[in-house]
Parts: sequence; structure tokens; C-alpha cells
Amino acid sequence: MTNSILFLTIFLISISFFGWSCFRYFRLITLGKAENRFDHLGKRIRDLFLYSFAQRCSISGSYRFGVNHAILFWCFMILLVANTEFLLAGIFPDYINLANLPTGLYYTIALIFDIASLLALLAVLTAAGRRLFFPPKYIEARTRDAFFILGMVAVLMLAFFGLHSSEIAQGSERAALYMPISSFVASSILPGASTESLISLANISWWIHAIVLLCFLNYLPYSKHMHILTVIPNSFFKRLTRMSLQPREEFNKGNVFGVGQVDQFTWKALFDSYCCTECGRCSDVCPATSTNKPLNPRLVIHDIKENLLTNGPMLINKEQAKLPLIGGGQDGSIDEEVIWECTTCGACMEVCPAFIEHVPRITDMRRDLVEMKARFPQELLNFFENMEQRSNPWGIAPAERTKWAAKINVQPFEAGKTECLFFVGCAGAYDARSRHVTLAVTKILDSAGVSWGILGKDEPCCGDSLRRLGNEYVFDRMVKENIEMFKEKGVRKVITQCPHCYHTLKNDYRRYGIELEVVHHTELINNLIKEGRLELTQTRDLGNIAFHDSCYLGRYNNIYEAPRKAIALATNQAPVEMERHHDRSFCCGAGGGRMWMEEKIGKHINVLRIEEAMKENPETICVCCPYCMTMFEDGLKDKGADNRVKVLDLAEIIAKAIK
Amino acid sequence: MLVVVCIKQVPDTTQVKIDPVTGNLIREGVPFIMNPFDTHALEEGLRLKGKYGLNVAVISMGPPNTEITLRKALALGVDNAVLLSDRAFGGADTLATSKVLAEATRQLAQKEEVVIVLCGKQTIDGDTAQVGPGIATRLGYSQLTLVEHIENIDLQAKKIIARRKLEGRDEVVEASLPAMISVVREINTPRYPTVPMRLMAEGATVTLWDNKEMKLNEETIGLKGSATQVRKIFSPERAVGEILGDGAANPDEAANLLIDKLSEGGLILI
Amino acid sequence: MEEKKKIKKPRGKARLIPGKCIACGARCQSSCPKDAIEMTEDCEPVISIEECIGCLKCIKVCPADAIEIYFTPEEQRILDEIKARSRAVAEPEAEVLSDKEAAALAKIKQYKGVWVFIEQTEGEPALVAWELLGAGAELARTLNVELCSVVIGNKVEELCRESFAYGVTRSYLMDAPVFRFYRTEPYCQAICYLVEKYKPEIVLVGATGLGRDLAGAVATKLETGLTADCTGLAIDDKGFLLQTRPAFGGNIMATILTENTRPQMSTVRPRVMSLPVRDASLRGEIVRESMPLKEDDFTTKVLEIIKDSKLDAVDVAAADVIVSGGRGMCARENFSILQELADELGGVVGCSRSVVEAGWMPVERQVGQTGKTVRPKLYIACGISGAIQHLVGMQDSDVIIAINQDRQAPIFEVASYGIVGDVLKVVPVITRRISELRAQRIKPKENRQPITKNAGDRKGRKHID
Ligand SMILES: Cc1cc2nc3c(=O)[nH]c(=O)nc-3n(C[C@H](O)[C@H](O)[C@@H](O)COP(=O)(O)OP(=O)(O)OC[C@H]3O[C@@H](n4cnc5c(N)ncnc54)[C@H](O)[C@@H]3O)c2cc1C
Ligand code: SF4
Ligand code: SF4
Ligand code: SF4
Ligand code: SF4
Repeated sequence: MTNSILFLTIFLISISFFGWSCFRYFRLITLGKAENRFDHLGKRIRDLFLYSFAQRCSISGSYRFGVNHAILFWCFMILLVANTEFLLAGIFPDYINLANLPTGLYYTIALIFDIASLLALLAVLTAAGRRLFFPPKYIEARTRDAFFILGMVAVLMLAFFGLHSSEIAQGSERAALYMPISSFVASSILPGASTESLISLANISWWIHAIVLLCFLNYLPYSKHMHILTVIPNSFFKRLTRMSLQPREEFNKGNVFGVGQVDQFTWKALFDSYCCTECGRCSDVCPATSTNKPLNPRLVIHDIKENLLTNGPMLINKEQAKLPLIGGGQDGSIDEEVIWECTTCGACMEVCPAFIEHVPRITDMRRDLVEMKARFPQELLNFFENMEQRSNPWGIAPAERTKWAAKINVQPFEAGKTECLFFVGCAGAYDARSRHVTLAVTKILDSAGVSWGILGKDEPCCGDSLRRLGNEYVFDRMVKENIEMFKEKGVRKVITQCPHCYHTLKNDYRRYGIELEVVHHTELINNLIKEGRLELTQTRDLGNIAFHDSCYLGRYNNIYEAPRKAIALATNQAPVEMERHHDRSFCCGAGGGRMWMEEKIGKHINVLRIEEAMKENPETICVCCPYCMTMFEDGLKDKGADNRVKVLDLAEIIAKAIK
Repeated sequence: MLVVVCIKQVPDTTQVKIDPVTGNLIREGVPFIMNPFDTHALEEGLRLKGKYGLNVAVISMGPPNTEITLRKALALGVDNAVLLSDRAFGGADTLATSKVLAEATRQLAQKEEVVIVLCGKQTIDGDTAQVGPGIATRLGYSQLTLVEHIENIDLQAKKIIARRKLEGRDEVVEASLPAMISVVREINTPRYPTVPMRLMAEGATVTLWDNKEMKLNEETIGLKGSATQVRKIFSPERAVGEILGDGAANPDEAANLLIDKLSEGGLILI
Repeated sequence: MEEKKKIKKPRGKARLIPGKCIACGARCQSSCPKDAIEMTEDCEPVISIEECIGCLKCIKVCPADAIEIYFTPEEQRILDEIKARSRAVAEPEAEVLSDKEAAALAKIKQYKGVWVFIEQTEGEPALVAWELLGAGAELARTLNVELCSVVIGNKVEELCRESFAYGVTRSYLMDAPVFRFYRTEPYCQAICYLVEKYKPEIVLVGATGLGRDLAGAVATKLETGLTADCTGLAIDDKGFLLQTRPAFGGNIMATILTENTRPQMSTVRPRVMSLPVRDASLRGEIVRESMPLKEDDFTTKVLEIIKDSKLDAVDVAAADVIVSGGRGMCARENFSILQELADELGGVVGCSRSVVEAGWMPVERQVGQTGKTVRPKLYIACGISGAIQHLVGMQDSDVIIAINQDRQAPIFEVASYGIVGDVLKVVPVITRRISELRAQRIKPKENRQPITKNAGDRKGRKHID
């Protein structure tokens, strides 16, 4: 009786403290701006099961220790029941006791608990071993915190066995036969112990178990293991599209644009920051981190969390925030250069097991820098002016847009007369190298009998880089004008040869009220072959072809197989895969507006990718994007390999194979 | 105290191409922009505003659509924008242009003391670099052209020290205020407007002064007040893509041909 | 007979010829006596048929010949009728001069002679002054007038004599301590004084920083026309100076006249007119003039002249001549070839991004998208393929020379002249040829710097007290 009163007191204190901690943390989330993450309930509930309970992220991919995490997760779920019973039984010993259950059920549960405890112990040991022998790459990994938690879990399990084995040894456990591990401990370690010592062992174990359990509970919110509380809900709130699309902004006087202070994020962004497990997968795959640049997606999320924890309480009280979100030069603040280094490749989001959305956060902060502060790398000034005044990144005259077509006969797009608009894109029209690709595409279109036309000198830039760079204001104006023109001309079907045009026209423009049927030439080529409209002979003079997945085609739009199939058909051999491919492909370094900036720090991303490609000894590297083309060609030149290896666009390979 | 910045709206001549067949300028789709040199003059004005607490007004003589360019200046933070537009101002050469701009400055100066008039070094369409000196001469202001750095301004003593960029040398010059300063591009990097400022500028007023307001003698402005007449315009001969000789087999011959071309065109002096 | 007279000969209507208007600044609109012209957003005229009376004013004034006269079907019918009836020779519309115009004509007749301003800094003349004497002599000969030089400075009489060697017969000299350093006010006053006193019909000034500063002020003071940056000068049949100059960023050439005021002033680009042959035996008259100017009259002071201040910090963006190298230069050492050519041409060496990547050149020399945007008079691209990222930084250069092994390289698309060949072979030949040719003309070369100053003086900062 005294025991249970004492325990009740301790329990109440610690549970209130835990409650208070949670309240303190989760109240800060309410600072965030509104965002609807309760739509498509059915899909969300499905995701909740798929990703949380089925541990899809942990297990998927090449993460050796993901299985360990899944085991730990499942043991944790089982023992959550066990521990709830344990705590309740501690408070109401006379009313709540599993032993009161029907025998069969009780035995089964006892068996499950016993085995789960052992598995948990083993998983913890494995995790500890991994941290000792295969530590994560990043130095700041909070190993002490990890060992502390692992230690607590181990102690819990040991106490579990201590309690039950002493009960078995006393003969007071009727399910002894169904608790093989506890029984094993009882029979191998405890035989011959006095009843008293067994009772005190049971008592001590019980108290250790109780105290450690409550400590664990209270320590959780303050450690990276907070994710235990947040990731499950986050799998419900997770984005429903492959990559999250940046929301539009309303350009009214008095509005704030972008995020320059932590409470300008949406609640989801803030909640995300509580979900990070610090697994470091995002940093592993990030092209910026991999080339020793200061950007590290994990730290961006971490800094948002730290900033929220520091400023949140003040902001809740309507006081001034004291730690700047951007450029404070300390923990909890993100440097400007970090924000500009992201290529928006989406690799971090692809691998994050906690469904954290890094890219929109970075773009949010870019918007603040561009729109509210007009601060950005100096090279972008020219770029922004060119886009705004001349509707192309280089500021070249509109009269030059059709230069590529000087020697061929091209129809202007006219609704009714031509079916598809071939949206050539700025690179396709102006860049001498890409013009060859443009010509290859037209050759394919013509040979398949596709009805197409171009906008010629009236073609605007799609605005992709503006949006990724956070210049939403100019993007907004451009898109509205472009859509006006598309509608006027009756454009419905669009063919692009650039993944950036593709993604922007297809996914971003939709939010501005135009549903275009957009195809990228890789998809189109594959369809034309399938439909038998393209007759190919097989070219063999290209040698080994290594294929590079563009971020905006693959990760953003799930196009992986179309180009591969087309290459196989055109060359009679499947392309060679680089070490990182498909959804794990490594960015060429040009996305997210990086194309227009100088890469000043660290190794060049394109060079790293070229080195990876060269390991496969290709004679040809196949790309599907004009930016990738530039990056690969430059990278090859830097490596002095441009005479050995050629970079070709898929369209060029197919054009060579056309009969 | 007021800084007056003169800006001109010009067609973006880098976008203008010549039709190879007709020899006409292809102006379609070519935007009108703020003369690039003037963006630096404007920036310098805004910096003076920040540093010395001066007010900044922009003036521009041009057709009514120049208002768009003046709004850009407002979005960058100038206090006042005046558009000088009238049929009678049209067709002006630099003599007539400087007349109108000088008069506008004089009228602004009646309300608030003008200490500095800023101009771009030259425009990208007229390319004359004569308007700035014209304004200075008409107003009797000190004239500092080709300024690459303003070293100091002493508003009490009414003195300015500036560094001018000339061929092969720089000059540090002291002059009294008020002064007309024309700036080279090296002087600064122009700023970019923030969105809140752009939204503000969308609703701000651009003051319009026509000749009823300015009351200038119509014989001295616009086409009538211009001393120069453009008699004829033709497209320059521009060799594009002429390959000289066979550089691989006979580098000497190719080099000679090139030197001939260059000295004919006055590009190198032999 | 009476009936015939009643039919008024239709004058037609003005209309715009599509594609011709260069948006010159609404000359047509402001010339129209009937306000028949409105300008579009694109600054092109829209002519109202109702208002237009066919006075031809807009047509005469349009520099681009963008407006033509045409006859409406109704007018055409009347015209045909007149023709049929009289077959009379159309009476030529005699150009009647208004009083005002006549007075102006009489006034301009008083102005005679071609003047060239001899620009100097600290006694050292600018080369362009001698070039102008060559062009001026030509004009003077056509007009059958005297060629004069104007020399202003402190202890610069020597320059008057030097100008005689280029055909000047009379030299106006203003020599006083106030003129020691160029300042707009005293120089402007001096020239205006001389012009008003001696009334030249043409005044030529070099289009240098100093020359443009001065000419702009002088022309405004004298309320006369000034044509900037001329590349060609000639005399028309009426004796007017035809001044040809590039405008619109070099996209067009314009021929400009100053019809009603005198003198006709032009600034002329350096290195455009060729240097005349010097004949030391020629003599002329020096006309010494002075003005009662005191140092205290002028508030402007030159505090310091900094020469070659950018000696180690080469500013590619501001250079007139750029010799640029790309990856085709093969190695860092080969950039010395480019430096030699640049030195010979008075230019600087630039480069493409890959050269910076390779560590052959510092990043400040990079031309292109993420480097500098340049617009020199001459850009020589050596071993540069011409990727768009490079092209956007230099394609507005006046003249582009491409030297590249690969005929297909995109650089040839923007080049004015190209040489297909090995840069490492071609460039040294060019450099050598230029210096050989210059050596052959050693005499004029001497002339370039008749008063050579101590070379040590020209480097570094120099204080003036
Ligand atoms: C083909 C062609 C050739 C011409 N050649 C000549 C010529 O040789 N001589 C001549 O006198 N005129 C000439 N003109 C007319 C002249 O170009 C302009 O029309 C004149 O109004 C302004 O001169 P600018 O553009 O060269 O200005 P610049 O003198 O080059 O301009 C210097 C600065 O003055 C200020 N400024 C200039 N114009 C304005 C304005 N409208 N509003 C506000 N600020 C302004 C700006 O700060 C600018 O940066 C020519 C016009 C054409 C079409
Ligand atoms: S999007 Fe790519 S570059 Fe940006 S943080 Fe994520 S992994 Fe790094
Ligand atoms: S953000 Fe995601 S991937 Fe990155 S460390 Fe955190 S949980 Fe891992
Ligand atoms: S012809 Fe005369 S009336 Fe007609 S538009 Fe031209 S200027 Fe005006
Ligand atoms: S005068 Fe000629 S060039 Fe000038 S605006 Fe009128 S039509 Fe155009």
C-alpha cells in the first residue's frame, strides 16, 4: 500500500513534468502559420500504417541498420503496452494485473513480452555496437545522447528480466513456462537464492524499472528521441506528392513574404523540426554536404528547432525574437550562404525516414532574402534583371530565339493547325550545345509524325529558377502573363526538352489555374516507340552508355524507366548504372538556380558526379536535361576527359537510331 | 536638401538586332529599360540619402510610358518622381534635353535646396554623354563627369571631393556644391527592390509636368530647340563570321589579313 | 481655265512604313503642325488620316525614312484628273525662306575656319589631337579655309609649334597658370571667348573623357549643336559638316548636321582617323590670347592625379581591348602569348571560366555569366569555344575576333572575323607582325609623344600642391 502511494506520488510528479514538457514544446508549434495537412484523410491514414507501423522507410533502401530500427520499433510498440500495464498495476495493484486475464490470453501475452524484451535488448546492443564500430559520418552525431538512451532501454530490459525471473524463482509466476527467457535466467542464475533476497531482487528490479521508465519518459522530449513521439503523427501529415510544391504567395500590401523569423514557417515546418532522428541520411546524400560546403540539411532542420526553442517562448508572449533565424552566426541560426547552396535536388527529402521537408524550408528562407531583404549572391542581380526584363536568363534578344531553326522548316504553333506546342526552352533556343538537342527532338517529332509548332520569338522563360531562388514576385508576374498567352493561343499539349520547364509547366503552373498536358521528351520518345511510330535501327557506335537521372525528372516526377527503355531499344543494350541512380541519383549541381551562381566553396558537384560516372568507364554519358549537359561537359573538361567521353542527350541518341 | 537624379528610359539596345535582309532594326519585343548608367546614378543618390540624410528626387524627360521606369525608381526608395512629358519636348537633342532637365531642376530647387544633380555617364541609345555637362552649364553648377567614387561631401562648407576616371589616369577633384556629377558604372552596384517597396511604388504618385507647368519657350525645346538634325540613318557594315585565310595551313597569311581588317576599321594603329 | 484652277492638287497623307521606325524620340510627332501624330507604347507614330494635311514635315524630319506619303483612292482620282487635263509640268514648290531663316543663314556665313582643340595633360598631348588635325586638314581643304589649332594650358607653347607640323597655319594659344590642370570652367570660358572672337565654322574635339566634358559645356554655352563620338566627317554640297556616328549601341549609324547654329561641333573617337604625316618644316602663326582669369574665380581644384593606379588590379570590365584565352590555350604558360598581344594593342588579358577553374588565371579576369560583362571595342577570343555562359559576357563587344581550331565552335557565330587555326601559332604571328609594321613607321611613332616626360613620373600617386 505504502509502495503504491509512494509510486503514485512519483508517478504523478513525473507524468505532470512530462505533460508540461510536451505542452511547452507543442505549444510552440501553434506559432506556425496555417497549412492544411488534414486533406485526403484516407490516403493519409494509409500512409500512417504503411510508413509508421510497417516501417517502410527504415527498411527500404540500402540502410543496413534499418532492420534493427524496425525491430526496436516493434518491440517498443509491444512494450508500450507492457509498460502501461506496469505503471497502472503499480498504482492500482489490486485492480490491474495481467494475471487476472484468462489463462490462454495471459500466457500468450507473457510469451510475447518476454521475447520482445530480449529482442529489444539485442537490438539495443546492436545499435550500440554500430555506433562504436560504424559511427555515422558526421562528427556532431550526438553519441552521448544515443548511448544514454540505449543504456536506459537496456537497463529497463534487464530490470524486466530481474523482476520476472525472481518471481519465477519464487514460484509466484504462473506463466513461467511461457516466459522462456525469464525462466532461463531464473534457472541459470538464481537457483538457491533465499526467498528474501529473491523478494528484494524483485522489489529492486521493480523500482529500477519504474524509475528508469519514468526518467526515460521525461528525458525523451529533450533528446533526439523526441522523434519517438512525433514521427508517427508526421507519417500522417506527410506530403502527398513526391516532392512538396512551394505554396504561392499573395502579393498584397502589408504581407510578409518568405520566412525570416521562425514563426513565419507553417506549423508543419515547425513540427518537422521535432521529428528529426538525426540519422544523418540527408547529409550523406546531399551534394552540397558531400562536397564540403557549409550546407547540411540535417543542421538546417536542427537549427530551425533550436531557433524555435529559443525564440518560441518569447514569441508566444508577443516579445521580440532574440536569435535571428538567418545569419546569426551561431547554433539555431542559418547562414545566408548555406541557404544559397542548395540545388533543390530533393535527395534529402527522398531519404529522410521522418518525412521532413527540407527543400521548401530553404526556399522559404530564400524568399525572405530576395523579397524582403533584397540580399543574394551578386551574380543573381543580372539573372533577376534578365528574367524580369527580357524573359530569359541570359538577356539575349527575342529575335535570336529561332536561330536554331534557321536551316529547317518550322511551323509556328497555332491551335487547330498544330496539336502540340514544342516548348523549346531558353537553353534549347540559345545555348549552342542545346540547340543540337532541339534539332534532334524535332527530327524525332517529324519522323514520328507528331503535329507540333513553336512560339518562336514569343516564347517566354518558364520561370523555374526564379521560383527555386525565391523570387516569387517576379515568377508570379511572369506566370500570369505566360498563362494568359497560353490561353489566348489555345495551348493544351506541351512537349518540353528540359526537366525544369517540364516540372514548372506541369506542376507549378497548375496552381495558377492552367492544366497543361505536359510531356518530357523522354516520356514522349518512349511512348512513340511503344506505339510503333518511331522506327529505330540500332546504333552501336556509342559504346558503353552511362545514364544520369535528372533530379527534376526522377525524384520530382518519377520518370526513371522511360529513358532507360528508349536507350535499350536504340542501342540494343541497357545503359550502365552509376553507383547512385534512380531515386538515389546524385545531382549534377545546376538545379535550384545554382546554374546562375558561381560555386565558390568546396569541390565542384559536377566534378564529383563525373568521377562517379568515370568509374563505369563509359564512352557516352546520357543526360536528359540541358543543365546536366552543361555540367557534365564542363566536368569532363575539368577532368581532361572530354576527348574520351561524349555527353549526349537522349534525343540525340534516338535521333541517331532513326531509320 | 535634395539630390536630383536624371534618368532616361531607353530601348534595351543590347536586344536590338538588325534584320539581315531589310537592314531594319528589329525592335519587336525589345523592352524599354532604365538606362543602365542611370541605375548607378540612382544608386549613388540613394546611398547619399542613407549617408547624409538627403532627399532624392528623380526626373525624366520622355513619353508617358516612362512612368513605368519612374515607378522602378520609387520602388528603390526615392522620395519623389517627376515625369517631364509633352509633345513639345519630343525630338530633342542634347541641347534641348538639357534645357528641360535644367529647368525642372531649377523648379525643384525653388522648394528645396538642390545640392547635387546625378546623371549617368551616357545613355545606351543616344550615347552622347552631353546631357550632364549641358545641365551643369545651364545651371552654373560645378561639373564633375566620369566620377567613379565620391570621397567626401561637406554640406556645411558646400564642398565635394570626387575621384574621376579618365583614360589612363584618375583625378581627385574638389568642387563646390551644388554640383552635377555624372557617374561611371564602376561607382557602385545597384540595389534590387524588395517586394514591399515594389507594392508601395505601384500605388505611389508620379508627378507629371508638361510645358504648361514648365512654361519654356517652345522655340528652345524639343525638335525646334535642337541644334543638331539627324539627316540619315543607316546600318553599319558589320562583318559577321568572315573567316580569314587558312589559319591552320598558313598562319602568317591569316594574321596579315586580320591586321589589315583591324587597321582599316581603325581598331589598331600601325 | 477657271475650273481647272479650282481643283486643288491633293498633297497626300503620311503613313508609317512598318519596321522602319527606330523610335528616335518622337521627332515626327513634335514636327507635325496639325498634331496628327500620336505615339504608341513602343514609341512609334500613329498618323491620323483625318488630321494629316500632307505637309511632309514629319517625313523630312524622320531620320529613319520611316514615313512616306501616299494618296487615298479619292486623291489618286483627282491626281489622275489633273494629269489628264493639263499634262502641265508640276510647278516646282520653291523653297521660300522665312525671315528668321534668312537671318540665321546670314549669321552662319560669318563663321569661317576649322579648329581642332589640342588636348593635353600636364603638357603631354593626347594622340587624338594629331589625328583630328589630319581629318581637319581634309575638311579645311574642301571648304577652302584655314586649319587652326587651339592650345590651352600652362607653358604649352611647344604644342602650337607641334601642330604646325601637321598642317596648322594658325594656332590660338591661351597660356596661363589657371590652365595648368584641366578644369571645365576656365577651359570652357577660354574656348567660348576664342570662338566668339574668331568665329570658326567647325570645332573638333577628341572624344576622350576630357574632350567630352569640355565640348558638352562649350556647346551648351554657345547654344550650338554638338555631335558626339563621330567616326566619320565630310562636307556636303551646301558646305555643311556631315557628321557620322554610331548610335543605338552601335546598331545604327547616323549622319548628323548642325544647320542653323555655328560653330558645328563634333567630338571624334580616338583611333578612328589616321595619324597624318608629320612635316617638321612647316610653320604657322601663333595667336596669343589671354583672359583676366584669377585662380580665386574657380572653386574646382584638382587635388591629385593618379596614374596607372590600376597597374596590378587589371579591370577587364573597363578595358577597350581584351585578349581573352580559353581552355584551348592548353597551359598556363601560354597566357604570356596573349599578354604580349594585349601589350601591343594596349589591352588586357581576360579569360573564360574553365581557365579560372584550371587555375591558369585569377577569377577577376573571368568574362561571362558569373564573371564580368564586358563591352570593349575589340575582343579577341583565343581558344574559346563560345559556350553561352561566355558569350553573354562579351557578345556586345564592337568587334569580336575568334581564333579557334574548331570551325564548328559557337564563338564563330558571334565573331566579326575568325581565324581557324592553332592559337599558339596564330597569335604570336599577329603580335610579331604588328610590332614589325610599327617598327617600320618608327618616325610617326616618335611623334606620338613629342614631349616625353620622365617615365618615373608617370607611375604611382603624385601629389599636387
Ligand atoms: C541616331 C541618333 C543620333 C543622335 N546623335 C546626337 C548627337 O550627336 N548630338 C546630340 O546633341 N543629340 C543627338 N541625338 C539626340 C540624343 O541622343 C537624345 O535624344 C538626347 O535627348 C539625350 O542625349 P543622350 O541620350 O545621348 O544622353 P546622354 O548625354 O548620353 O545622357 C547622359 C545622362 O543624362 C541624363 N539624361 C539624358 N537624357 C535624359 C532624359 N530624357 N531624361 C532624364 N535624364 C536624361 C541621364 O542621366 C543620362 O545618363 C541623337 C539621336 C538619335 C536618334
Ligand atoms: S535538396 Fe539536395 S542540395 Fe538541397 S539540401 Fe537537400 S540534398 Fe542538399
Ligand atoms: S532530417 Fe531526416 S534524414 Fe536528415 S537527419 Fe533528420 S531524420 Fe535523418
Ligand atoms: S504630313 Fe504633316 S500633317 Fe501629316 S502627319 Fe506628317 S507632319 Fe503631320
Ligand atoms: S521620326 Fe521616324 S524614327 Fe522617329 S519616331 Fe517618328 S517614325 Fe520613328
